[in-house]
This record gives sequence, structure tokens and C-alpha cells, in this order.
Amino acid sequence: MPTTFWGWVSLLLEKYGPLFWNGTLYTMLIAISGTVIGFIIGLLVAIVRTIPVSPKASIVKRWGMKLISFLLNVYIEVFRGTPMIVQAMVIYYGAMMYLGLRMQALGAAIFIISINTGAYMAEIVRGGIISVDKGQKEAAHAIGMTHWQSMLHVVLPQAVRNIMPSIGNEFVVNIKDSSVLNVISVSELFFIGKSAAGTYARYFEAFFIIAAIYFVLTFTVTRLLRLLEKKMDGGRNYTICGSQSDSEATITIHPEGDVPND
Amino acid sequence: MIEKQSILEIRHLKKDFGTHQVLKDISFSVFGGDVISIIGSSGSGKSTLLRCINFLEEPTEGTILYRGKDAETLNRAEYHSKVGMVFQSFNLFANMSVLANCTAGQKLVLHRDGKEAEDKALYFLSKVGMDAYRNARPGQLSGGQKQRVAIARALAMDPEVLLFDEPTSALDPEMVGEVLSVMRTLAEGGLTMLVVTHEMSFARDVSSRVIFMDQGVIAEDGDPHEIFTAPKQPRTREFLSRIL
Repeated sequence: MPTTFWGWVSLLLEKYGPLFWNGTLYTMLIAISGTVIGFIIGLLVAIVRTIPVSPKASIVKRWGMKLISFLLNVYIEVFRGTPMIVQAMVIYYGAMMYLGLRMQALGAAIFIISINTGAYMAEIVRGGIISVDKGQKEAAHAIGMTHWQSMLHVVLPQAVRNIMPSIGNEFVVNIKDSSVLNVISVSELFFIGKSAAGTYARYFEAFFIIAAIYFVLTFTVTRLLRLLEKKMDGGRNYTICGSQSDSEATITIHPEGDVPND
Repeated sequence: MIEKQSILEIRHLKKDFGTHQVLKDISFSVFGGDVISIIGSSGSGKSTLLRCINFLEEPTEGTILYRGKDAETLNRAEYHSKVGMVFQSFNLFANMSVLANCTAGQKLVLHRDGKEAEDKALYFLSKVGMDAYRNARPGQLSGGQKQRVAIARALAMDPEVLLFDEPTSALDPEMVGEVLSVMRTLAEGGLTMLVVTHEMSFARDVSSRVIFMDQGVIAEDGDPHEIFTAPKQPRTREFLSRIL
């Protein structure tokens, strides 16, 4: 048996290397799908909540929109207001006991993290939409775009750019917080860490390795997201095409008889 | 007698914001080739009037007729493509290049194909002297350049009437000229324009008709020469004496 810290670390790596690697893949799979699906949920919820309802619209439409908006608020408040670890237990065991549905651990994990992230994303996207100047939407309407067209082509691209830092945050949070899903026995990093530690009762060394992996993941992801943001901003320079025509040149008006002889 | 049909007819337009009446019974007609300057002090309802005509604000009462038909019953997209708007703060789509700004509406609303939309956009961009900047982003342009692109964007939709909401008010003084000269060319080219402006020289020299608004009503409506030299209403006289 090893006697030093590094000795234990290398032993654990040697024995459980492939497992750690698998755990990393699971964690990333859960975090990526959770963030992407959550983002899509957030987008849809935010778009629906910003549909303008004219006071002249029919009563059915107005009340229908009110009801939808109420339900979406309930969703957001409930999922933001309870811990994900509790949501995981309620959903996983609730589905098993009352719906007779035995969810696959990985599927359940992705499902839970997605709807949880969706609730946060809805608010983030809403903030992003508010941050886009009102004039952008007005200009889109003024050339005849519909609500959906103006959202899709003008407002959301700008909103998404503005909320990229927050989306990145959610992603990093998801990488770390997917660890709580070990309660439904999905074999992500934390779960693997527990198993690896248990065999030799070397908790410190095992979780030191797990911590290092988490850090490498989040640090890499943060850097990549910064790069993506830079790319979204486009180049700082642009090329001038052809000759620079001057607006003055096209509108010079020669008094009668005073035609320039070229 | 055959009466010339108006492009736009505003009938008894009213607009309230809560209890505040901004427009009180506005009626007038716009005919093809008219260049109408709407002048008046801040808060007189000029901008709200334009925004109501373009349904950026829902009128509280009254009707807007487009070629004799109630504009509210028309397809909004179609109406908007016929009645274009140029804003004080330009409102170029910040996520698109200059060229894309001028093609987006054509493709999405008028369903023109890419090539046609691009040709049209470049034609109008060159008219306003901005074709060389087609790949630039709005954030990289000066105020005057942005406004010229915004004008090209509106023109690319082939509008019948173009509404200008204080197009030079947000510009540095040295850039006002370049935008006004573009507008002057458009007026001379026969485009029907409705211009809310504080540029009295434009109102006097370029427009074919001047509407003076005061406290939500049209106080005076007539020939620019007459209004500037011999205003009939005391309040017009008072406004002009303050501003000229």
C-alpha cells in the first residue's frame, strides 16, 4: 500500500482511470445537454411571455395569454425556489412510485437538469430581451416584420449576445451542480469519486482528483466561451468596397446651361 | 371634377396616454409627391402623430385611410412596406451588416430573392453614398452615415410614403448637412415625404407644404412660403419668432 499522498493518487488513477474518464464524460454530457435544452426552454418561455397582446384582441386570446403566462410563472418560481437535489428525488421517485415509470438514471438526470436550467434561462433571456433597445423592434415593425420575425432576426440575436456571459455561468454551474444528481445514482464524476474512495477509504485523495477534474473542465469551458463571445462580436475592422462614392457627388445640381464640360 | 386620390388620409385622429391627450382631432391628407414638413415645439404631438400613422402607437380614435381603405383592416406587413419610417435614433439592426440591414426586410416581408434584394439595396446605398460601407456594422459608422443607411433601408422596400421622425435631431451639427442633402434629393426625385423636423431651412426651402402643430392640434397648414413670411395664426408667429 502506498504511504504518500501522491502514491495514493497515482494508485487511484491507475485503478480507476477509465472510471474517472467515464464520469467526466457523463458529467459533461449532462451539463451540455442540460444547458442546451434549458436554453431552448428559456428562449421559448421568454418569447411566449413577450408576445404583445393588444387590448383590442378578443377576450379568449387575452385570457388565454394570461393563463399561459401564469403557468409559466409558476414553473419558473417552483423550479427556482427549490433545490435541484430535492427536485431530483421528487421527480425520480415520484415517477417510479406513482407513474410506475422507472427512468433511466442518465435520462432522468438530463431531464431534471434541463427543466431546472430552463427556469433560470427564462429569466436570463427575458433580461436579454429587455436589454435590447426598443428602437430595434420598432424599426423591424416599421419595415413590416411580424413579432416572430423581429424576435428571430433582430432582437434575439442581440439578446443572446448580451446574455452569453450568463449562459456561460449556467453552463459552469451545471458542470458542478450535476454532482447532486448522484442521489439518483447516475454515474457522473461525484458518484464515481464516492465509489473510488470507498474501496480503500481514501476520501481525500479520491476527491482531490475529482476536484482537479472539475476545475479543468470549468476553466476550459470558461476560456472557450470567451473565445466564442469574441467570435460573435465579429471583426473590429471592415473593408471598404470599391470606390467610396460621396453622397454629395450624386446630388450636385448644375444650374441650367452650366453643364460641366468633361 | 375628378379629385386626385390621396395616398394617406388621416381622419379625426386622437391619441391619449392615460389622461394626457397628445393628439386631439387631427385630420389631413397626403397626396403623391407631397413633401410635408411638420413643425412645432417639443410636446406638440408631432412625433406621436407619425408614430400613430405607422401604428407604432395605436391611435385611440380616428381612422387612417391608405388609398381610400382603412389601414387597420389592411395587412400590417403590406401597409408597413408602403409607408416607411426613418427614426431619430436610426435604429439600424445592430446585429447585421449595412447590406443585411437593407436586405432583411425585402427578403422577409416582400419575399424577394437574395440577388434581387442585394441589387436593390446596393442601388439605394449608392444613392446615399454608403455602398462602399456595405460590410460595416452599424456600430462602426458615424451618426450621419447611420442615418443615410437607414434611409436606404427604408427606400429598398419601395415605399410610397416615407415618414421621417426628426431625422437630424440626434446628429452632430456637421453631419446634419449630409442627411439633409440626401433628403433634398429624394424630395426632388418626387418621393412623397412626411417630415417631422426642427430644420426650418428644410421646411421652408424643400417642402411643398408645412403643417404647424401646437398642443395636439394642427394650428396651421399651408404653403411654406406663406407660413414663413405671413403666418395667419398668432401662435405660429410666436413659434417662428422664437426659432428663427
